[in-house]
Amino acid sequence: MNRRDLFKLAAVSAVPGALASRLAFAAQPIEFGCPVPASGAFAANGKYANLGMQLAIEQYGQAMGRPLHYTLLDTEGKPATAVRKVQELAQGQGARFFAGGILSSAALAMGKEVDKLGGVFITTAGADEITGSECNHATFRWSVPTHGAIEETVRPLIETMPKAKRWYTITPQYVFGEGLLSAAKKVFAEKGIEHVGNSYHSLSETEFSGYLTNAIAAKPDVLLLLNFGSQSSAALRQAVSFGMKRNTTILMAWASGLEQFQSLGADLCEDVYFGAQYWHQIDAPLNHDLVKRCRAAFKSNPNYSLAGSYICTKIMIDAMLKAKSADPQAVIAAMQGMRYAGLTGDEEIRKEDHQVLKNYYLLKGKAKAKMKDADDYADILHYGKSFLPVAQTGCKL
Amino acid sequence: MNVYLLQIVNGIGLGMLYFLLAVGLSIVFGLLRFVNFAHGAFYLIGAYLAYQLVHWGVSFWLALAVAPLAIGVIAWLLEKALLRHVYDHPHEFHILITVGLALVIQEVVILIWGPIGDNVDVPSTLQGVVIWGSFIYPKYRLFVIGFTAIFALALWWILEGTRIGSAVRAGSESTETVSLLGINVFRILSLVFALGAATAALAGVLAAPIRGVDPFMGLEALSVAFVIVVVGGMGSFGGALIGGLLIGIIQSVMSTLWPQGAQLMIYVAMAAVLLLRPHGLMGRG
Repeated sequence: MNRRDLFKLAAVSAVPGALASRLAFAAQPIEFGCPVPASGAFAANGKYANLGMQLAIEQYGQAMGRPLHYTLLDTEGKPATAVRKVQELAQGQGARFFAGGILSSAALAMGKEVDKLGGVFITTAGADEITGSECNHATFRWSVPTHGAIEETVRPLIETMPKAKRWYTITPQYVFGEGLLSAAKKVFAEKGIEHVGNSYHSLSETEFSGYLTNAIAAKPDVLLLLNFGSQSSAALRQAVSFGMKRNTTILMAWASGLEQFQSLGADLCEDVYFGAQYWHQIDAPLNHDLVKRCRAAFKSNPNYSLAGSYICTKIMIDAMLKAKSADPQAVIAAMQGMRYAGLTGDEEIRKEDHQVLKNYYLLKGKAKAKMKDADDYADILHYGKSFLPVAQTGCKL
Repeated sequence: MNVYLLQIVNGIGLGMLYFLLAVGLSIVFGLLRFVNFAHGAFYLIGAYLAYQLVHWGVSFWLALAVAPLAIGVIAWLLEKALLRHVYDHPHEFHILITVGLALVIQEVVILIWGPIGDNVDVPSTLQGVVIWGSFIYPKYRLFVIGFTAIFALALWWILEGTRIGSAVRAGSESTETVSLLGINVFRILSLVFALGAATAALAGVLAAPIRGVDPFMGLEALSVAFVIVVVGGMGSFGGALIGGLLIGIIQSVMSTLWPQGAQLMIYVAMAAVLLLRPHGLMGRG
């Protein structure tokens, strides 16, 4: 056998291997991670977020001929656990696409880690830093940051009730709460509102009677709750039991959505104001489609955790299809500046800080007798888009 | 009324609930020398059982009686079938089996009722607030203070003034001696374990209209119960009462003095008691 024959044989024998490897590559799934708290105080949010990613992955099935697959990662709401789980999935299964976070502290830590891993991370967490001073090339955020949440709730409520001049705040002491409080103080100062007091609480607090006693003693016109999830539910429940609805307007600036209304019940929510990233009754084509899909798959309306995870996953898949590539850098390039018909109407990903520009909603809980169906807990009173200009966010990509 | 005075009243309300939560754990440890990490799970299922009964249209008052009794019976059965077999083993076995039991109960709650919390309405007769000058306090919380005080007196009488109570107290000193006196110690152990679980369940039922129900409330309750038992002294009825009130008042007053540290301070208080009185305020060395 001469050298030419050897090359021929090698070439022929290499063909099935190359084909097999190509076929194997074609069948290799594109891996997604859903890093959310599936245990602990925020587990309910995580479990719905899991359903949202499941819905998006099942809807598309594949991209560029490769099946889509995802793994639920229980972050326990802890940044260190979240980072470890992301690392494990990236190293073990080669995942580079992550949608989740929910809690700002975990989202900030994961965003940095995914950036190091050369992946893409999109979150619904609230802290301004995510697309602000701690922004990075890999991290995107669908939800409106704390600035917009306050602008679209506190400001319109002040305009609705110009005589309500005394506001009291209850704030969880971590980046998310600090962001909301800082934004609220700016609006108070601008509008001549007297901030009659604030009670900070820890992230594990469930007993709010002490803070509410402080609030009652300060005689506020408005009680502004700046906490999230089960903590805001507990704070609202206890505020109502302390009779605060009698002479105080209550605003929960960042409600966690439909599941929170279901958990609290219509009587507690009646006449309470809620800020919301998402509401299943939003009149937008993609939202109508999601509601249909969700009812078909889970026999329920989508809530914020589910909808947020769904749209975050969908954005990444759409960007993949737009880029015709599952290379994270190509997907990031496709996501930057992307405009699309979103769950809240027209949405756009700002290229300079990776922030999705979308609406934020002010809802008002309605009386049980006025509910048209089992999930018709609130009316949308106001919505709008408020975002700091990129120069003021502190983000430098 | 001065805000600190309001916080002390609120702290007493919290403390009475904490007492109820911790007293069962304390008595079980005193008699059985058994570390029960499933205590919070009994609180959890007590609350959920009340939630379910109220959801079915049963009166809250009936739920308040039925749920603790039902949990007491379940605990009695569990003690006989499972826990009794590890009493003689080191504490690691107690921890392992009760942590496992707590996790199973928590997952069963999630399976049946889902991961999202829910609301339990305050009974209609106790809705609203009491207003006395600047003092505003929910009627239901005042009821909890009064009810728990009466329950504490009744429990104290059972432990101090009855034959069963004497056997329990004697058993906490020496089970062998009690056994030699012809008393069925195993029956006493089962009874005490069931009583401990029933008081935890009672705390769960009373807490449900205040904080709602969610599948993770047992863990949170367990940590508070352990703090109170350590502060008050293991195995001491009076210690559970004093520990509960002290922790409740500290937590509430600190909500005004240093709100962000209010929860931290209950652990600081525990550390301080451990340093100054390692056996707790009412514990014996």
